[in-house]
Amino acid sequence: MSDGRLVLIADDDEDILALVRTIVERQGHEVMAARDGAEALALVVQRRPDLAVLDISMPELDGLQVLRRLRAESHTRDVPVVLLSARAQEADVALGFGTGADAYVRKPFSPRELADHVAQLLER
Amino acid sequence: MNAAGLRTMPLARVYLAAGLAATGLYFVVPWDSFGQALLYDAIGASSAVAVVVAARIHRPSTQLPWYLFGAGLLSFSLGDVLFNLYDQVWNREPPVPSVADAFYLAGYPFLTIGLLLLVLRLRSQERRVGLIDAALLTVAFGLCQWIFLMEDLVRGSASASEKIVALSYPAMDVVLLAALVFLALTPAWRTVAYRYLTASILLLLVADEIYGVSPDTYADASWLDAGWLLSYVLWGVAALSPSMRGLSEPKRSRDPRLTTLRLAVLAAALAAAPAILLVERATDGNIDAVAIAVGAVVLSGLVLLRLAGLIRSLDRLRGAERVARAEAESVRRQLADQNEQLREADRLKDEFVALISHDLRTPLTSIMGYLELTLEDGELSKRQSGYLEIVDRNAKRLLALVNDLLFVARLEAGELDLHPSKLDLAAVVRQTVSEAEPRAAASGITLTCEAEPVPPVSADRGRIFQLLDNLVSNAIKFTPEGGDVRVSVAQANGAVRLEVADTGIGVDADEQRRLFERFFRASTAAERQIPGTGLGLYIARAIVEAHGGSISVESEPGRGTSFRIDMPVEEAEVHA
Repeated sequence: MSDGRLVLIADDDEDILALVRTIVERQGHEVMAARDGAEALALVVQRRPDLAVLDISMPELDGLQVLRRLRAESHTRDVPVVLLSARAQEADVALGFGTGADAYVRKPFSPRELADHVAQLLER
Repeated sequence: MNAAGLRTMPLARVYLAAGLAATGLYFVVPWDSFGQALLYDAIGASSAVAVVVAARIHRPSTQLPWYLFGAGLLSFSLGDVLFNLYDQVWNREPPVPSVADAFYLAGYPFLTIGLLLLVLRLRSQERRVGLIDAALLTVAFGLCQWIFLMEDLVRGSASASEKIVALSYPAMDVVLLAALVFLALTPAWRTVAYRYLTASILLLLVADEIYGVSPDTYADASWLDAGWLLSYVLWGVAALSPSMRGLSEPKRSRDPRLTTLRLAVLAAALAAAPAILLVERATDGNIDAVAIAVGAVVLSGLVLLRLAGLIRSLDRLRGAERVARAEAESVRRQLADQNEQLREADRLKDEFVALISHDLRTPLTSIMGYLELTLEDGELSKRQSGYLEIVDRNAKRLLALVNDLLFVARLEAGELDLHPSKLDLAAVVRQTVSEAEPRAAASGITLTCEAEPVPPVSADRGRIFQLLDNLVSNAIKFTPEGGDVRVSVAQANGAVRLEVADTGIGVDADEQRRLFERFFRASTAAERQIPGTGLGLYIARAIVEAHGGSISVESEPGRGTSFRIDMPVEEAEVHA
């Protein structure tokens, strides 16, 4: 796994978390998984991820709040972030990009669609 | 001829003409002759017969008053016969009192009771007011009778029996007038029969009064007979008039009002006592202070009673108005509450739909994601792949339903926000068609696109694509294999016209205008179990109207359906 990278994934739904983990691991990357925003930030403190895939609706800190913290810290400022959300309104998407997301994927999503985003963002 | 036939005959007019002719004849035949006396008796008797016959023909709801009238008139007539017997057969002056007087005096109570019975058919409210008014006029008239006729008789030198009989006539006149006035103050006065009846009684009273004031001059004033004779005739005419039935019918009328007539009655009654006083003083100066004072007190009392009744009924009306106002206010408040509750329920429904739609996406994400992974793995048998493709298709349907519900919820919450840009509708049409091509091909349907160059419109690209995709998907869904779906875009009358036409199953005429209603599904769609939520066209219309456009449908069952959308173009673009 020479080009394996570290990807942080966070979702409060166990099944979706496993789905995302499968998609990312299939691409040969290492995964660290969190079930809420606070846990995600705790993991980031231990190891800086190369990419973060964050669900927006989570307990404790939601995905947008985690995104803001990442952008506020100098060593995580440049980590690409994919937001996942069941909120599909254009205003929600605009808010996601406005907060600093690099991609916004609406639930339900196609595994191929998410994989494309992950691959594209890690290539940069 | 039967009763029904007789009822339609102008009997009243025939009897009136005959009566007038007979009365005229009375003054032509030799005076004081036997023939003349016979004619007088015949006219009187005929009126009694006419009244009884009329009651049989017209069959009013109460017949008794009319039989009483018949009895009263017959009694008068018998009095006439006896009077004439003295004169013509026995050739002597009738004694005072005579048997004739007994019959004459017996007639008045019959007539009076008959009139009162008619009044009793009316409503109690009418009766009470009418009673007071009648009492007022009666007391006033009675006072006149007493002062000008009866008082002199009492003080006269005649024997007691003579006095009693002589006093009875004016007294009876008072009673009869009272009954007449009572009836006059009810709605009965509007009938023709009533007017004849009134004329008849007034003639009788006037003749009686003139006779009463100077009985000795009767021999010289033979024209007085005309009053009595015409009174007979008119009573008969009143009975024969078909409107006599109306006298027995209780009529609905408004609450008693203070009409001019009634005010005049009250004023005349109040003025009676002072007027009599003045007349007495001007004529002989022999004033009966006690009678006038008593009369004045009674009259004032009655007027007060009458006014009190009016004020009470006004109070009642005002009370009823207050109650009605309070009720209206409470109903209004109730309505406002209900409206508030409805709005709240509507808001909760929208919130609920939004929440459900959102929470349904999460499990759908897992279902659809893992399905795709499983299918990609390629380790399944062909049959298993086929099964999972069906699951996938239905998951997509479920997602479409969730999306539609969410869209409608937002639409109804007024949250449909458009992001318009300059849009080439021809390009959107081409994109829609190319994306729908595989689905059309899978269903064996030929999908064609006719896109002319059109001026750009200001529209939300995503929404217009949603709209067109919706219509094209519908067309494919409702068109049997081998059919055609044609999508076109062209310029028309300052608008861009989009058309989606199919050769599908069509929609019944009476269902066409309901197609755009929320959750409406055409019966043909339901019968063929073609899946759908009944939201697609509702959403389509909402999108079109949000852009200021219009959408219409033409369809023929079995032949096909065509949706036409006109999107407005900015003026500058049309001529550009």
